[in-house]
Amino acid sequence: MAFLELDGLTKSYGTLTVVKGVNLSVDKGKLVCLLGPSGCGKTTTLRLIAGFVPANAGEIRVGGKTISSAHSTVPPEGRNMSMIFQSYALWPHMTVFENVAYGLKLRRLPQSEVTKSVRTILSATQLLPLENRYPGELSGGQQQRVSLARALVIKPEILLLDEPLSNLDANLREEMRFEIRRLHDEFRYTTVYVTHDQAEAMTTADMIVVMNDGRIEQAGSPEDIYERPETEFVARFIGGTNILSGTRGDKDSVVGEGGLVLRCGSGSTAASGKTAVSVRHHDIELSSAKPKSADTNVTIGTVTRQIYLGSHRDYLVSIAGGETVRTVAPVNVAIPVGQEVWLHFPPEKCRALAQ
Amino acid sequence: MTSDIQVQALPVQGRRRGIDFSWPTFALLTLVLSVLVLLPLFWLVYYSFRSDTGAGATFANYIALVADPTLLRAYGLAIGMALAVGVLACIIATPMAWLVARTDLPGRRTIRMLVTASFVTPPFLGAIAYEILAAPNSGIVNIMYRSVFGLEASEYLVNIYTFSGLVFAIACFTFPYVFTLVANALDKVPSDLEDASSILGGKSMTTLRKVTIPLVLPAMLAGTLIAILQALTMFGSPAILALPAGFHVITTKIWSLFQFPPRLGLAAAAALPLLIITVILLRAQKSILGRKGYTVLGGKSGTPRITELGPWKWPAIAFVFCVLSLTIILPYLAIIKTAFTGTVGDPINLSTLTLSHWRFVLFEFSATQLALRNTFLLGFLTATAVTAIALIVSYLVIRRSVPGSGFLGILATAPVAIPGIVLGVGLFLSYANPTFQLYGTIWILLIAFMTIELPAGYQQMSSAFSGVHPELEEAGRIVGASRLRTLWDITAPLLRTSVVAAWCFVFVGTIRELSATILLTTANTKLVSVIIYDLNESGDLGAICVLGIILLAASFAVVFIANRVPVLGGSQMNTRG
Repeated sequence: MAFLELDGLTKSYGTLTVVKGVNLSVDKGKLVCLLGPSGCGKTTTLRLIAGFVPANAGEIRVGGKTISSAHSTVPPEGRNMSMIFQSYALWPHMTVFENVAYGLKLRRLPQSEVTKSVRTILSATQLLPLENRYPGELSGGQQQRVSLARALVIKPEILLLDEPLSNLDANLREEMRFEIRRLHDEFRYTTVYVTHDQAEAMTTADMIVVMNDGRIEQAGSPEDIYERPETEFVARFIGGTNILSGTRGDKDSVVGEGGLVLRCGSGSTAASGKTAVSVRHHDIELSSAKPKSADTNVTIGTVTRQIYLGSHRDYLVSIAGGETVRTVAPVNVAIPVGQEVWLHFPPEKCRALAQ
Repeated sequence: MTSDIQVQALPVQGRRRGIDFSWPTFALLTLVLSVLVLLPLFWLVYYSFRSDTGAGATFANYIALVADPTLLRAYGLAIGMALAVGVLACIIATPMAWLVARTDLPGRRTIRMLVTASFVTPPFLGAIAYEILAAPNSGIVNIMYRSVFGLEASEYLVNIYTFSGLVFAIACFTFPYVFTLVANALDKVPSDLEDASSILGGKSMTTLRKVTIPLVLPAMLAGTLIAILQALTMFGSPAILALPAGFHVITTKIWSLFQFPPRLGLAAAAALPLLIITVILLRAQKSILGRKGYTVLGGKSGTPRITELGPWKWPAIAFVFCVLSLTIILPYLAIIKTAFTGTVGDPINLSTLTLSHWRFVLFEFSATQLALRNTFLLGFLTATAVTAIALIVSYLVIRRSVPGSGFLGILATAPVAIPGIVLGVGLFLSYANPTFQLYGTIWILLIAFMTIELPAGYQQMSSAFSGVHPELEEAGRIVGASRLRTLWDITAPLLRTSVVAAWCFVFVGTIRELSATILLTTANTKLVSVIIYDLNESGDLGAICVLGIILLAASFAVVFIANRVPVLGGSQMNTRG
């Protein structure tokens, strides 16, 4: 049963509508990632869930109870959620211990219980030796952990994370991704995680929700999103892809402008007019001789760029019809720029996109 | 470990929706600020259309404004004086700012501190110091000049009671505005901009001329405009130096219209152009400083590039020493000397040292104790009220908790454009009528000071608030603290230092105010600044210097205490950006 439900949630500022009727259900204990480019409305959605901004239309329900609607908004302090902010928002005038203990003190727990809970969470986040430091005396990664500990210690019904890793350097970011997933597996809080980084979403999420222009483009497991994108936007945003446009041919095939016929193993084509096919870079087979087996899904092109990247070579090939296809090939397939080359698009890797 | 954390979620106890105080607070503040700012302006305009003799609307006051040659002359002299002050301040301050910010001049930090500290000197006290130094007969400089060359008593070297003397005396105490702006701008010009010029082949003088100076030009202009504005709206120094010289500037002219027989309508009409000029100057300054990407330089700045002076070191030191002597060292020495010797002309030795002025001021002169009490009481009340209002207004404005709160910010900033003397006229007209009989009480002075100091307090508080990231407050809300609780537990401690600083700033500004005070004070509500002005009329310079020292000591003491007492200021925390 869905624990957190967004129902037709809408938010506008003046004439600008930033969240346009979002519907979403999150099961208890799941980690869902809102993923999208900046300005897609994901952070506003998160702040709507937190209660920092009131909704213009639609509802937010937690466990069946409405907490936000056009008429009333339960204030953030009444929602029993907690949040990790992009800036961490650690209170600089309080020590690590005081930062973490603050939420518990508000709940008027006895001092001994506060100390016990804080110590427990500090050891879970490996912060115990630092409990008397001030936030200004911690490294970025340590501040991030304090922020996590402070959010987790109050045992929230829902945990919200707003691009929590964007201020960390690359190595630390990768480490913290696994750390967040580990803590989620340990504590199992229902979590909403906002990010624009697809690798972050892939590592941490049970469900990825791709947002664009205030709407949900697609929601599903990481596998769904990557292997079965439903729109061109999702295909492009999650992992690089080639989008080849054309018109619908017979059955499940699409005819490109240069006459290339692509048989698609999955997806759906638009009934009429333009339609598109997505093929991931590494799914295209590149060879100097024409492949024997296939008579569809094969075309000839000219190499316009070839880059040696150590583990593989990265090719740009321009094909008939003026389209350019990007593909990767093993290091030993070295075809110089200007030479003709054959491309094979395996049907099971071609995904037809109606929109 | 997992299991004992993994229990039922902890609800916040006493969860309920608190009453939202935003709207009532907003309404109340709008009302208070409107009364403070708009009411005096309304009466000012109203009275400017009223005849002083009979009833009815009239343009006579505006006609007099154009026709009366003494008024026109006062405006002309005031504008001329202000422009001259601006130019002189800029000429003194710019090279000095460059020397201090960008060269290896010895003692740079000390010089900077001294100039900043000279902000504390009330300009009227500076004018009096120059009376002591350079009055044609009794001035110390002239006495020494005569004794060195054995000249007649009618001979003199310098005369401060002239137009140029007035310009000089005011410029001495307004150049810190230009200095501070230019020095800060020079600090901010990143050295890589200059390095870029050098790498392209620019020699150091070319770089200075083509890169550095154009980049600080806006700061120079803005600082000069401020100096002009200060000079134009100043009452104390012209009243002390121009009246004996036999001419009026506009502020003293407006004041003279309040002398018997009072011509209030004309005073109101004469005050309005001053208000308009101020608004224009401030807009000009804002548009100069507001051109983003020009003065406001983002990015990492690195350490500013330091020019080695080499053989120019000694002329530079001489120049800086000369400026500091004229603006700080000599005036202060003159004040101290006068406070401790019998008369201004006495030489300093054991027999002339006396505490008689101190005895007179502290025990014999009846007005002093009342004035001291009034001054410090008003300073305390004004600082507290302004800081409180500024705190709430900036919270509402920065956090945008109420739609339309920007309007409050505008109201709180508006008085910056109202010169003290204009506000004095407006408040006199608003509160000296039978409806509000506040004239003659200290409350009218409190209203005046609150209005005058509000912009400074608001500016300090709002920049402090923008330094506190909103997420710090949101983090408090989401873990279960109400809005008020968050303000108390998180925002307040983070703002404490800024609040104390703003309070001190307002306090120091209040106890030295004279322009508005001079029109609003009566025998029962004398302030130290007014007593100083009165004593100057009677020529009692020794007593003035004692009072001046008390004012300065109080100002420095307040700043010192605020910086040292840990509860009020310095502690271990620093606000993260």
